[in-house]
Amino acid sequence: MKRDFVKTICPYCGTGCGFILQVEDGKAIRTLPDRKHPVAKGTLCIKGWAAHEFIHHPDRLTRPLLKKNGEFQEISWEEAIDLAAKKLKEAAESYGPDAVAGLSSAKCTNEENYLFQKLIRAGFKTNNVDHCARLCHGPTAAAMAQALGSGAMTNSISDFTGAECIIIFGSNAAETHPIIMGEIYKAKDHGATLIVVDPRRTEVAANADIHLQINSGTDIPLINGMMRYILDQGLEARDFINERTEAFDALDAYLSGWSVEEASDESGIAAEEIARVSEIYSRAQEASIVFCMGITQHACGTANVFAICNLAMLCGHVGKPHSGICPLRGQNNVQGACDLGALPNVYPGYQTVADANILRKFEDAWGRELSPTPGMTVTEIIGSAGKKIRALYIMAENPVLSDPNQSHVIDSLHKLDFLIVQDIFLTETAKLADLVLPGACYAEKTGTFTNTERRIQLLRKAVEPPGDARDDFTILCMMGKALGLDYPYADPGEVMDEVASLTPIMGGVHFDRLGSAGLQWPCPEDTHPGTRFLHEGRFSRGKGLFVVPGYTPPKEMPDETYPYTLITGRMFSHYHTGTMTRRSHFLHREVDKPFVEISPADAHSLGIRDGDAIRVSTRRGSISTNAKITSRVRKGSIFAPFHFREAPANALTIEELDPISKIPEFKACAARMEKE
Amino acid sequence: MSLVEDARLKAKNALEEGLVDGVLALARVEDEPYPYVFEDAAETGMLELEPKWLLAKLAMNILRSSRQDYRLGIICRGCDERALNELSKRNQFDPARLHVIGLACSAEQARICLCTKPYPASIALGEKSEGFDPREDERARMFLSDDPGTRMQHWAAELSRCIKCYGCRNSCPICVCEPCKLEDDLWVRRGEIPADMVSYHLIRAFHLSDTCVACGGCTDACPVNIPLMLLQVAMRETLANNYGYEAGTDLERLSPVLSDLTIEPCPPLMEPGWLDSLKVNHET
Repeated sequence: MKRDFVKTICPYCGTGCGFILQVEDGKAIRTLPDRKHPVAKGTLCIKGWAAHEFIHHPDRLTRPLLKKNGEFQEISWEEAIDLAAKKLKEAAESYGPDAVAGLSSAKCTNEENYLFQKLIRAGFKTNNVDHCARLCHGPTAAAMAQALGSGAMTNSISDFTGAECIIIFGSNAAETHPIIMGEIYKAKDHGATLIVVDPRRTEVAANADIHLQINSGTDIPLINGMMRYILDQGLEARDFINERTEAFDALDAYLSGWSVEEASDESGIAAEEIARVSEIYSRAQEASIVFCMGITQHACGTANVFAICNLAMLCGHVGKPHSGICPLRGQNNVQGACDLGALPNVYPGYQTVADANILRKFEDAWGRELSPTPGMTVTEIIGSAGKKIRALYIMAENPVLSDPNQSHVIDSLHKLDFLIVQDIFLTETAKLADLVLPGACYAEKTGTFTNTERRIQLLRKAVEPPGDARDDFTILCMMGKALGLDYPYADPGEVMDEVASLTPIMGGVHFDRLGSAGLQWPCPEDTHPGTRFLHEGRFSRGKGLFVVPGYTPPKEMPDETYPYTLITGRMFSHYHTGTMTRRSHFLHREVDKPFVEISPADAHSLGIRDGDAIRVSTRRGSISTNAKITSRVRKGSIFAPFHFREAPANALTIEELDPISKIPEFKACAARMEKE
Repeated sequence: MSLVEDARLKAKNALEEGLVDGVLALARVEDEPYPYVFEDAAETGMLELEPKWLLAKLAMNILRSSRQDYRLGIICRGCDERALNELSKRNQFDPARLHVIGLACSAEQARICLCTKPYPASIALGEKSEGFDPREDERARMFLSDDPGTRMQHWAAELSRCIKCYGCRNSCPICVCEPCKLEDDLWVRRGEIPADMVSYHLIRAFHLSDTCVACGGCTDACPVNIPLMLLQVAMRETLANNYGYEAGTDLERLSPVLSDLTIEPCPPLMEPGWLDSLKVNHET
């Protein structure tokens, strides 16, 4: 028997917990906590404990598949790579470089994301590369980059303890980032007042000191009301505003048009409550704001994040220990996929494609002519499929379940001349592909993931990919060579060395420096210890910028035909489109069928009992699911997790996009329901 | 010779003398230690003793998946040794295949673990230090309060944070039942957090009432810092006071819970101290 213990990083959320895979005879048989991991500290959530379960699942893809006459047939890697390269090149030659697009992956490593965006950019002279960050923290990246100079979580996870006040906007961290929740509870036990703003009475809200149960999508009125109160009482941090920020006058003028009473009317929060939380937050010596999809997944998502930045800067609560603006990133490596330039407007390290000097730097390094024009976003790529976009290469994403308005996504993907999907299972998206490339999961590869606090951590290979599947680094190197690119890498460590040479914020990051604790960027030089919190003394952009947030209420309000507000999200035992968690025995056992949360009052008026089969419909579509009656949702609201392919919540959601970041409004649309 | 050098030597000798086929301990392969099975005596220079890392359940799993004649050495602390005794007593593995190299904990470790017996029965490494009474710890006192109302208030507040990771069960060296009661729909509602205080946490606690060795694995594994090990203190004390019984310390004697009470030394049966919890109005 060959036995091994391999330290690696969890493949689920952006917390980035380390754990140990117990390997026997080439099989990962158990997940063990890592007591010395700086984030997890020997704990795991239910998904972490079960993270070995899907690795050797019989559904794993083991050979490249080509669709012929509607049926998949196994082909060799040589045929698959030749065909993929040929079809992508044909599209570019016939319709121009921008007819090719790629969706990179927040599930894949930093090195793979780097190679993927390089493949699209250098291989085809287009910037049509994006990934699912568009659907979660696109607004965060856009707004925080503009206001502060960096889109990343300003502080560290271990930094919550010490804050006097923590406000959580639109995050149910107890289910979605459980290990971070533990740190927030620790901060509360050390004296922090915990305030939660959420239309649902989530697990986090139930355990908070104060829960503001706002009307869906009214974060900006609430924050405006708070800022109005803080200014009226003279509680703002004048010195900070004068010395470290700019454009306060514009915000001040905008806020003069708001009153606490108006904020109260819009948000549904009593004026006294607004005053109370404003007092606590502004008077605290050190205070942090945590936020997640409840802020970003709105058609005014970017404006919501601007509002949060305004509030923090108004009170001087940024650029210090225990004081910051903390978006909790969703996917295990969504931070890294953004950092490595899997975005249509920036190269690795957020270096803009439109800057001539930067363009030249990358042209010199990659030996190819590059496009100075920002490319299309995920939502635009899907929307243009079969029109401007003729060939699409998707690496480990599942837009059929994760993107809004499912029937539209399926129609669009059908219209493509050629669709390549690289994944570990035959996902709903892979089923639509012309060519499927079998990739490797986290346990089968070396590389790095970057967690929500900018910590770049090493994955260690524990087992081999199944059958003839290959790790994504190897597949991308084969693709690169087939496209005539210079892809000379012997291993992912060499890719990181190239990244370091081109990316100032990661200039000092090399595999041999990462060890067990990793490195938090910015880490510009080989001797730099990494950065615990950002914007100390000076914002990344110089001065912090106040931006007047353009508020728009949710686009589709409940009416007579569709009287409920539908909120989508996730729950503790599943992850995103369920590709991995629903193939994990233990997680599937915990929740094995779809459900929609309904308030007791609404259930009563419709004659629905707990567990009843119900139909939920919107103007886009309709699903059959099961009622779960709970006072977590208020009368008039319903909540659907999006993990279930048999009842896809995104058959219901609206494609209404935020004008800046193009994120869809997953958190509010009008729905109706009836018993089946 | 330092303690860790002594441990390396003992592991090396056990391997070289053919006493064992492997030694389960911690290894510093890179910068931080983690569990490792030493099968090559030349590797024992990587062996480490810190931090406290429970290995009993891992040892049981390794013995189960190895060939029948595989003998495993383990460098373990008092709590792990007692857990291994309980497991072998309950026929989870053959104790003849296990060679224990016992490590005594420091007084500081005992304080962190709220451990009353921070040493194994036979000490091969380190020196015995005094145990630490959980009631000496300020936070622990709230959960062990003599006032049932106060106690309930603290437990209810802590347990309402439970994220149902099952880490308390997964990390418990004694939790080995198949199937597990926590996966029985009769008791525990699926898909709900927090896990219910009575049907999840108290069933788990009572299931372990006569086997818990107070290793603190449940507390260490809890992401939301619930002091779960303290749920067992009252029951462990009751067994000790009424029956002179402590889990994991006696390889021969059966738990009093498994006896018919007539053969057990049961002095005038006293009402255990924790029964008052049942008289509290639960609507807090």
